[in-house]
Amino acid sequence: MREQAAPIVTLGVFVVLAAAAPWLVGDGGIGLLFEVLLMLAMAQLWNLLAGYTGLVSMGLQCFVGLGGYTTIFAANTLSVSPYWVLPLAPIVCGLVGAASAFFLFRLRDAYFSISTWVFAEVVAMLVFIAPGLGHVTGMTLETTRGIDYEIFLLTNFWIAAALAAAVVIGIYALLHSPLGLGMLSVRDDDIAAASIGVNVWRNRFIAYVAAAAGCGLAGGISFMAALFITVTTGFDLNWVVAMIFIVIIGGIGTLEGPIVGTAIYYGIRELLTNVFALSGSWYLVTLGAVAVTAILIAPRGLWPFIRDRFGIEWLSISRKFADAAAAAKRAAIAPEAATTSPKRI
Amino acid sequence: MSWTGTIINGVLLGGLYGLFGVGLALVFGVTRIVNIMHGEFIALSAFIALGIAALFPDAHPLLLVLPVVAVSFVLGYALQAVFVNRSMRLPDPLAPLLLTFGLSVIVRNLMIEGFGVNPRHIRQGDFGQLSIDVFGVPIGVLPLVTLALAVALFVVLQLLLRRTKLGRIVRATADNAEIVRLMGVRPASVYNIVMGLSFALAGIAGLMLGLRTTFTPFSGVERLLISFEVVVMGGLGSFWGAMLAGIALGVAQLVGLRLNPNSGFLYANLVFLAFVILRPSGLFGVRQ
Repeated sequence: MREQAAPIVTLGVFVVLAAAAPWLVGDGGIGLLFEVLLMLAMAQLWNLLAGYTGLVSMGLQCFVGLGGYTTIFAANTLSVSPYWVLPLAPIVCGLVGAASAFFLFRLRDAYFSISTWVFAEVVAMLVFIAPGLGHVTGMTLETTRGIDYEIFLLTNFWIAAALAAAVVIGIYALLHSPLGLGMLSVRDDDIAAASIGVNVWRNRFIAYVAAAAGCGLAGGISFMAALFITVTTGFDLNWVVAMIFIVIIGGIGTLEGPIVGTAIYYGIRELLTNVFALSGSWYLVTLGAVAVTAILIAPRGLWPFIRDRFGIEWLSISRKFADAAAAAKRAAIAPEAATTSPKRI
Repeated sequence: MSWTGTIINGVLLGGLYGLFGVGLALVFGVTRIVNIMHGEFIALSAFIALGIAALFPDAHPLLLVLPVVAVSFVLGYALQAVFVNRSMRLPDPLAPLLLTFGLSVIVRNLMIEGFGVNPRHIRQGDFGQLSIDVFGVPIGVLPLVTLALAVALFVVLQLLLRRTKLGRIVRATADNAEIVRLMGVRPASVYNIVMGLSFALAGIAGLMLGLRTTFTPFSGVERLLISFEVVVMGGLGSFWGAMLAGIALGVAQLVGLRLNPNSGFLYANLVFLAFVILRPSGLFGVRQ
């Protein structure tokens, strides 16, 4: 049971800090944390695909933009508060993700990555030329007139915090389930996984639809708070670029990695643009340099490097000796067979 | 413009797209690296060509090919030697892709800092605007030269790989980097040359792009997508496939723009998606 202490303590601290945030930091701080938490959720979802199921997507910005458009379009059309229609964003994005999976999954590796990007471009262009979606001028959220902006900001922040927590808990729980074990086996070797009866296609499909829905919800929240969306901002390639950066700097295939990566990503940004007053492009040059250094020095990312160096465990999903032995006993296999390779997964 | 004109211009545009893709196809064929830097390098080459053009304002634009190729080759060689080879020694197969991704962000933002975001154009006399009339259809000289140059480069590349000692070494390394070590070849040195060649090809593509249209530091990302599509549609690693794919995309884009002037690259993207779904291994690819 001791093993589960760290995640529960982490969650407790997070809830307390999120609840107290308005009193701890000012409005500017809340705005920044809002952005950070949404990005954390999206980075975790990219990591769920690339780190756990081997699907390297370059097209998740498709769902960010689609979620934003869905929320603003539905709120304007139905003349209701955007909070009522926010659940539509993950539903629409999940459906589009599921539909696209049927053909994108026929492609592998680099083909898949490139095709997800092309698919995102196609969706962006279709939104751009569709009548009623504002064309180049974009869409403004019209149903928030007269609201108290302070409360709006705080509500959005807490929704973002809930999403970030839900995504981390969801992935943690998933990876401790048999389905998660199947996913890890698919990432490590999909042919071997298939040969021992893991349904590779279904595992990937579930992860992909979850990532699409999650990014759609994050996009919906983000653009609801911005009150405005255009095709260029919604379907910006930089959404997925940021997710990739965060995950490779922090540590691909770990739950802690995206958390560490998000902290570094925004830490460097705030340091360079606010403290040193450098332009956004110098910030990206620095970030690129950090990523290149990380890949060459700590190829699995910063978190696994720290973890192995100092022997820290945080939100580990590795299965321990006792777990493995118990599982082996349940499955009536010799415990030696289950524990001969103490490989971290 | 008539439909004939649209299609002919699409084919000529395809020459440029084929040129975008061929360097990427070469690197992928030999090293199995998906080089995300490729697009940035096309844009950077356009800026390099602009700088060289400023030094020789009276030179014919096609003479710029030589210095651009030389500079690009050296840059590609150096980047592979300093960075990419290191990442290829790592156990994670994703490392080189992520490394080139990091480098591409660095190169793009250095270009923004160095050259600004205003659209530039390489103006070298009126060569870019010349056109000839073929049975009533006006055809641009520059696009025609681009297509001819693309075909010529493909032939040269093919001869280089099939007929020369260097080509044999490159092909052998592509087949099995471990075995060529036993024959006294250092795979890393071969990769350096291949990346140099790939950058030289991207350099020519960048020069042609800069002569044809305006460009900014952001032009690379769009070109990367086109390069990827060309390579995947052609069958990863196939040069002639890349050429034909470029032509298909060029025609699809111009026909699409004629049907709906707002559609941008939409129709070409749809052709790409339809194609890879029907034939995931590409035109000349090996079935997976």
